[in-house]
Amino acid sequence: MKLIEKIVLHNFKRFRNLDLALNDKLNILIGENETGKSSVLSAVNLALSGSRTQIEAIGVERLLNCDAVEEFLNSNKDYNSLPIMFVEIWLNEQNNHELSGKNNSRDVDYDGLRMECGPNNELGPEIREILQSNDRMFPFEYYEVKFNTFQGNAYSGYKKFLRHLSIDTTLIGHERATREYVRNVYEANLEGAERQQHQHLYRKAKEDFSRSALSTLNERVEGYAFSIKSDPKSNLDTDLTVLEGGVPIDHKGKGKQCFVKTDFALARATGPRQVDLLLLEEPETHLSHVNMRKLIGKIRGAHNQQLLIATHSNMISARLNLRNTILLHSATDQAISLNDLPKETGRFFIKAPDHGILDFVLSKKSILVEGDAEYILMERFYSEISGRTLEQDDIHILSVDGTSFKRYLDIAKLLNIKVAVIRDNDKNYSLHCEDRYRAYVGETIKVFADRDEERYTFEVCLYCDNRGICDEIFGEARRSLSVQEYMIKHKTDAALALLETERDVTCPAYIQEAIQWISS
Amino acid sequence: MDKQLVLAVAGAGKTKLLIDKLDRERRALIITHTTNNFRNINSRIATTFGFLPHNIQVMTYFSFLYGFCFKPFLLKKTGVRGINFDRCGNIRAVGRARYIDSNQRAYANRLAKLIQESGAGAEVTARIGKYFDLVMVDEVQDFAGNDFNFLPVIASAETDALFVGDFFQHTYDTSRDGGVRKNLHKDYGRYIAECEGIGLTVDRETLRHSYRCGPELCNYITDSLGIAIGSHRQDTTGISFLERESEIREIYNDPAVIKLFYQNADGHHACHSRNWGASKGEDHYTDVCVVLNQTSYRLYRHANLRALRPSTRNKLYVAMTRCRGSLYFVEEKALRGIAPKAI
Repeated sequence: MKLIEKIVLHNFKRFRNLDLALNDKLNILIGENETGKSSVLSAVNLALSGSRTQIEAIGVERLLNCDAVEEFLNSNKDYNSLPIMFVEIWLNEQNNHELSGKNNSRDVDYDGLRMECGPNNELGPEIREILQSNDRMFPFEYYEVKFNTFQGNAYSGYKKFLRHLSIDTTLIGHERATREYVRNVYEANLEGAERQQHQHLYRKAKEDFSRSALSTLNERVEGYAFSIKSDPKSNLDTDLTVLEGGVPIDHKGKGKQCFVKTDFALARATGPRQVDLLLLEEPETHLSHVNMRKLIGKIRGAHNQQLLIATHSNMISARLNLRNTILLHSATDQAISLNDLPKETGRFFIKAPDHGILDFVLSKKSILVEGDAEYILMERFYSEISGRTLEQDDIHILSVDGTSFKRYLDIAKLLNIKVAVIRDNDKNYSLHCEDRYRAYVGETIKVFADRDEERYTFEVCLYCDNRGICDEIFGEARRSLSVQEYMIKHKTDAALALLETERDVTCPAYIQEAIQWISS
Repeated sequence: MDKQLVLAVAGAGKTKLLIDKLDRERRALIITHTTNNFRNINSRIATTFGFLPHNIQVMTYFSFLYGFCFKPFLLKKTGVRGINFDRCGNIRAVGRARYIDSNQRAYANRLAKLIQESGAGAEVTARIGKYFDLVMVDEVQDFAGNDFNFLPVIASAETDALFVGDFFQHTYDTSRDGGVRKNLHKDYGRYIAECEGIGLTVDRETLRHSYRCGPELCNYITDSLGIAIGSHRQDTTGISFLERESEIREIYNDPAVIKLFYQNADGHHACHSRNWGASKGEDHYTDVCVVLNQTSYRLYRHANLRALRPSTRNKLYVAMTRCRGSLYFVEEKALRGIAPKAI
């Protein structure tokens, strides 16, 4: 199996330096907007395509890191320090000497491909002239792109060292993207010299048509003749489409297209021309919940391809195992693999209810609470105590079952997320609130609970601290249950009622502490 | 690991020996010196297998040296951007300037040395071993200067190695570099000793008989040039010296007979002609007319051709051994009245 082991980016779009190790099978890139998920996919796509025209169409200006350009313009503009941009695709052992050598950023003998964009040295004198002028002009137009294997030989899109297919749902419906897709799956399904055969027969069919069907017409137009075009703009490649159930895929709805394209690409997994790598950009776009589940099933079933998926979807990242997730941060160039999560934690999130795990993963600070009642009241408590809102402080709240706190703390520990765990002491503070979390508690993780074992649960604390208000709100209608019993039995109703009351509700002390700690 | 040098005579089936070693399984690399032979070997492979199998790679020596050996390890490090086939003009150049010109091109004649001096020799050896099971070098007699010194890098790889060549067909050098290996080709015995020193088992038996040249020609070469060559053939051919003008004219104008000149083939493009040295590797002539220049004619007359300078003697040997059928000699001077005036 052909695999990308590592992607190295230098001055590519927002990345100054990125060193991204990939899993053999699934790689799910997550990150806030603008963290560079799409850039990684596009880097891989460009480097594997080996297409100069694609780079020219995008423009060096948009590929070269802005800070690198800015730094250069602020320096003494020395020719030799003109920034270069490169993308390296490090492959597993390919047993192909054309791919191996030390022509890479690490000077290590390895198999791989490198796309490099730098000043065209043949235009050195002209570039120097531009640099010497006083204008703050960067010589983008004088940059050239080179595609070389690590051996040092040039390659182009014609030679496929690794077959990849890019499905960008944000481009679905674009003619060029569709044509590219059709061509790729067509190639992936070909055997032997079928392509040449098809092209030959297609041209012949056109000629036959021109000769027979158009002949009577052409006899009337003396000196001229009508004929069917057969040129680069109208040939088998341009006329080919893929049907599903008799309907061309580009005539289907966007959601369906996305699904069908991915499915079809995944299904072609054998033969010498199989697709080795599938790049999926935000597959959740246009997909219904049901189709998304189906798609996830298909992806999980794919065994012969490596996948690189950029997504915002909680479901995709959790269901395909968080351990396959790679997190990109906007602040740093570092990518964090969740590969180091314990296996059981990965399995847990595959099966766990969808709680917005991505929001947690992407957060810098989070509060984990044990139940919906705490969740409902937390926002109110937070703004009363800190004077700010949760959004302002970028704090995420998650209500999870008390037994699964540890799963989340595994993630928090790995990603350095500051987490306040708020829980009940369940009548045994040291057991439930101390012993259990000893492996996690530290500078960034703290557990907050009431130390008084009489105050064993949130509702009890709430009632004790707000006896007057609670009696007033819940007292009237009670017959058999006490107010406290009612609150315990109807936790969310009670919480909602307290949320809506205009009276001042006192926040239990341990929650106050938690809020002060997390917001500091 | 089998490491062999087979020394052959002309027309004994060197190429066949190489081709016979190939199959669809073993990963084989064949290195040739001339592009002539590169094409020839490729077409022989295609004839043998019906196409060019993926497990077999044929490379010319410099594409092997630059592409396979130099680039993977030293391209980035040196910033070299191509090869310069001219010599370094400054014999006192030191350091980088000895190996790489101001346009960042590596001097071809020192490329092998540059690889070794940069300490990449062991990596190249490992690389050959990694990608191939069998390495064969054709026309090995042409390896000279730094390129001969590079042979151990190839021979010590974890592969079987088969080098073939004909010491007396040494008419070109892969490259030269001042006094480096200047005396390598001076003496056959010493040459063999040098090759054994690399770790090659030298085989002078297998290919000592020519299939191409008949016994009469082989005996004549052995006697007149002092180059031992046997023949597998029993039939009679002929060797004659053309003297009558009508005869000379007839042969000169016969497109079926190749006219081989010492170095003046260009002046005789009106007829089917080539230079002695340039005919090396060619295998499709029947009757051959060897045109003797002034020096060789004089020595021919005195039955003392072996007194020719070794390089000239080798070229004459190449020319004579192109012949399957009748061999004609003619004095170059005698062609003057016959050849059309040069334009």
